[in-house]
Amino acid sequence: MQTLYQPHDSVLHRLNPLSKLLVALPQMALMLLVSEPWTPLAFAVLISLTLLTLGHVSLGRFLRLLGPLLMIVLLFTALYPFLVRQSLVDHTSLLFALGPIKLYQGGLYIALVTGLRILGLLISSLPFSITTDSADFVRALVQQARLPYRIGYSTLAAFRFIPMLQSEMSVVQAAHRVRGVDSQPGWRGRLEQLRRSAVPLLTTAIRQAERTALAMDARAFGAHSQRTYFRRMRFTGRDWAYVLVYWALGALILLGLRSLGLLGPLHVLQIL
Amino acid sequence: MSIIEIRALTVKYARRKLAAINQLSLDVQQGETLLLLGPSGSGKSTLALTLNGLLPQAVGELREGQVRVVGLDTQEHSVADLAQQVGILFQDPDAQFATLKVEDEIVFGLENLGHDPSSMEARIQQVLTDVGVLALRDRPVSALSGGEKQRVALASLLAMQPEILVFDEPTANLDSMGTQQVFALLAELKSRGKHTLVLIEHKLDELMHLIDRVVVLNAQGGILADGPPRQVFDAHGPALQAMGVWMPQVAVLAHELRRRGLELPLFPITLGEAVRAFRGWVAKATPATAAPARPSQDAPALEVKNLSFAYGHVEALHDVSLNINKGDFLAIVGANGAGKTTLAKHLMGILRPPAGSIALHGEEFTSIPAKQLARRIGYVFQNPEHQFVTETVWDEVAYGLRVMHEPEDTITSKTQELLETFGLWRYAKANPFTLSYGEKRRLSVASMLALGQDVLILDEPTFGQDERNATALLSILRGLNQQGKTVIVITHDMRLVLENANRVVAMSAGKVLFDGAPGELAGMPQLLSDARLTLPPLARLSALLATEHPHLRNVLTMADYVALSH
Repeated sequence: MQTLYQPHDSVLHRLNPLSKLLVALPQMALMLLVSEPWTPLAFAVLISLTLLTLGHVSLGRFLRLLGPLLMIVLLFTALYPFLVRQSLVDHTSLLFALGPIKLYQGGLYIALVTGLRILGLLISSLPFSITTDSADFVRALVQQARLPYRIGYSTLAAFRFIPMLQSEMSVVQAAHRVRGVDSQPGWRGRLEQLRRSAVPLLTTAIRQAERTALAMDARAFGAHSQRTYFRRMRFTGRDWAYVLVYWALGALILLGLRSLGLLGPLHVLQIL
Repeated sequence: MSIIEIRALTVKYARRKLAAINQLSLDVQQGETLLLLGPSGSGKSTLALTLNGLLPQAVGELREGQVRVVGLDTQEHSVADLAQQVGILFQDPDAQFATLKVEDEIVFGLENLGHDPSSMEARIQQVLTDVGVLALRDRPVSALSGGEKQRVALASLLAMQPEILVFDEPTANLDSMGTQQVFALLAELKSRGKHTLVLIEHKLDELMHLIDRVVVLNAQGGILADGPPRQVFDAHGPALQAMGVWMPQVAVLAHELRRRGLELPLFPITLGEAVRAFRGWVAKATPATAAPARPSQDAPALEVKNLSFAYGHVEALHDVSLNINKGDFLAIVGANGAGKTTLAKHLMGILRPPAGSIALHGEEFTSIPAKQLARRIGYVFQNPEHQFVTETVWDEVAYGLRVMHEPEDTITSKTQELLETFGLWRYAKANPFTLSYGEKRRLSVASMLALGQDVLILDEPTFGQDERNATALLSILRGLNQQGKTVIVITHDMRLVLENANRVVAMSAGKVLFDGAPGELAGMPQLLSDARLTLPPLARLSALLATEHPHLRNVLTMADYVALSH
C-alpha cells in the first residue's frame, strides 16, 4: 500500500509504534481544542525538530512532505475568511470590501488559527506515519495492546488488497471506455458508473479474499488461541522515556505560552 | 506404505448439482512424483484441497469416502496438524501471501503453530537457501517478480517441513522466465528425494523427465487413466486430446506421425527421446514447399512513430516505431514489463499518444473521437470479466450497437449472428459472470466485433484456458484474420506465435528488439534470450534435429511436421 513509511534505522524507527501513537494522539486532540495560533505553531516546530533529528528525515524530504501540507493550509486560509459567519467578526475592523464580499480582520485571524491547527494536526501524525512499518504496528497492537491476533493479521492481509483493487479499478474503467460506455454527467451517471464497475471489482475481491483465506488456513492460521512471534515487539524504558519526555516538553510549551499570556481558552466544540 | 490413501471419495460444492469428485480412489507411494491431469472443471484443484483437509474443513462438502495422508484421516485432524504433512503451492502468487515481507511470510506458519521463536532463525536460513532466495529475506513481497514470489511461497511451506508438496498450476500466472525458475526448483526438490510431489500443470514437455506417474481425471470427477507417463500418453493419447487435456507436445506429435505410418519402438515423452525416435524418419523427409506467403497488403492499418512513454519516472516505451499492415496477424511478445501492454493501450487510446505518433489507416490518431475509435478498433482485455457491462449475454453483444444508436433490427440480426458464430446462442439469457472461463473469453471477443471493427487487439487471449478452448479461440481469430481483419495479439506464448502469426514484434525494456517473420525470430537464440522468451517444445525439437538435418530448421509447429513428406 502507498504509505509515507520509509524504512531506515533511526531512534524513531526503533521505538515501539505504540509509544509514537501515545505521543501523537494527545497532540492531535490538543490541536482540535486550541483557539489561538501560538500553540499549533510551537508544536509544529517541536515535531519538525523531532523528525529532523530523531527520525533521520533529511531536510529535503521534510520540505517535500511539508510543501503539499502548506499548500492545503494556505488555500484554506485564503478562502476561509469569506465563509465565516459575518456576525462573528463584523465588530472587527474591515480590511477590504468589494461589493458584498467583505474581509474583516477577525475573519482573517480565525482563518489563520484554523489553518495552523490543521497544519498541527497533520504534522502531529508524521513521526508515527513516516517511521512505522505497518506490520510492526500490527505486531505491537497484538503483542502489547492485546488486540486479538486473528483481527490484527487479517487486517494486515487486507492491506495488500488496496493497491490490487486500485489497479483493478483503473483496468475496469479503461475496459468500459473501450466498450464505448458514455460517462453521463451528473450524480446519476456517476452512480451508474460505480454500479457497473462494482460487479467485476467485487467478483475479483471476493475471489482473491477466498484464495488468501485458504492459503492462510493452510498454514495453520487461527488454529490456536495463542501464537508465537519471531519478531518480539517490546515496550522498553526507551519508549517510556520518549513518551514522558515528550509529554513534559508539551506541558512546558503550554505553561510557557500561558505565562506569556498567549494561550487562549480550549474549546471542546468549535468549527474546524 | 501409501503416503496418500483416497478411498471412494465423493465431493460436492454447495449450489452445484454434480459432484466435483465422484467415487475416486487413489494411492500414492512415499517419494513418488505424480502428475494430475484432466480437462478444466474435472476436479484437480478440488482433489488438491482434500489433501490438507481444507476440503471439507474450510470449503466444500465431503459426501462419501475417506482421505488419509501420512496415516492421518483428514476429517479427524485439523488443517493445522495436516499443514505439517502437506503443503500446497497455489496458482496465484499474490493471493497466497498473508504478510508484507519475505521473512514474515516464512515464519507465518511456524508462529501459528506456536513454535519456539529461537528455533526459527535456523529454519528461515535453511528454507530460503533451499529455494535460492536468501538475498530477498528483507524485501517486501510486493517488490518480487512472479517467479520469486512462487519461490518465497514455497519456502514458507517448506518451513513447516511437510512430507507432501502439492503444486496447483504454479506457473499459470508467470512468464517464461518465472516458469523456468519454478521448474528448476521442482527438479531440485525431486533430486533431493525428501518429498512426495503432486503436480497439476499443463506446460509438460519440460517436466516429463521428473514424473513417475500420471493420473488423468475425467470430466465426471473420476479417474480415466493411471500409470507411468509413457504408457498413459501412448495408450490414451487420442482420448486425452479429445477431452482437451494438455499433453507433452512430443507425445501429440508421436501420435500424429504414428497415424501416418511411423513405427515407434519407444513412445517418446521427452525431447531427448523424441530426437531418437524421429531422427530416422525426418532424415528421409522433405519439408513441404512453403505455401506462398500471404501477400501483405501494404495499406498500413496502424503506424506508430517514435512513441515513448513513462509512468512517472519509469520508462515503459522507448522510441517505438512500427507499421502494422492491414490483414496482419501480428504478435507482440516479450517478458512481463517489456512494454507490450503499454504499447497496446496506446493503440486503443486508453493511454493518450502524443500528436503525430500514431496514425490509424493514415488518419491522425488524436483527432479521432473516442467513440469513433471504439467503432474501428476492438480491444479484448486479459480478464474478460473486466469488460462486462450488462446483465445478459445477449445485451453484452448488443451493447456496442446500442451505444452507436444502430437501428433495432440491425442490432437483433447482428447480435444473433455473433452469438451463433461464437457458440454462445444457448446462453443468450444467462448472466455473463456465470459462464465458464472459456465462454467468457469468447463472449468478450464477440462483443468486440459487433460494430464491425476491422482491427482487433487481444491481451493474452489464451491465458488460463485449457487446450481445447485455446485452440477453438485461435481458430476463430484465424478465421477473422482471413476475412481481412487485422489481429494484434499480446502474448508470451511462443507456440501461439509460431502457429498463427505472420509477423512478430519482440519487445524488451520498452524497446522493439525484433520485427519480422516468426520463423526468423525462432532461429535467433541470442535475441530470444534477450527478450526472455523460450521456444515451444516442437521448435526446440527441430533445433536439436537440425544439427544433423539442416532442412528441419524451418519446421517449427505441429502443422509443419505433419506436412513433411516422404
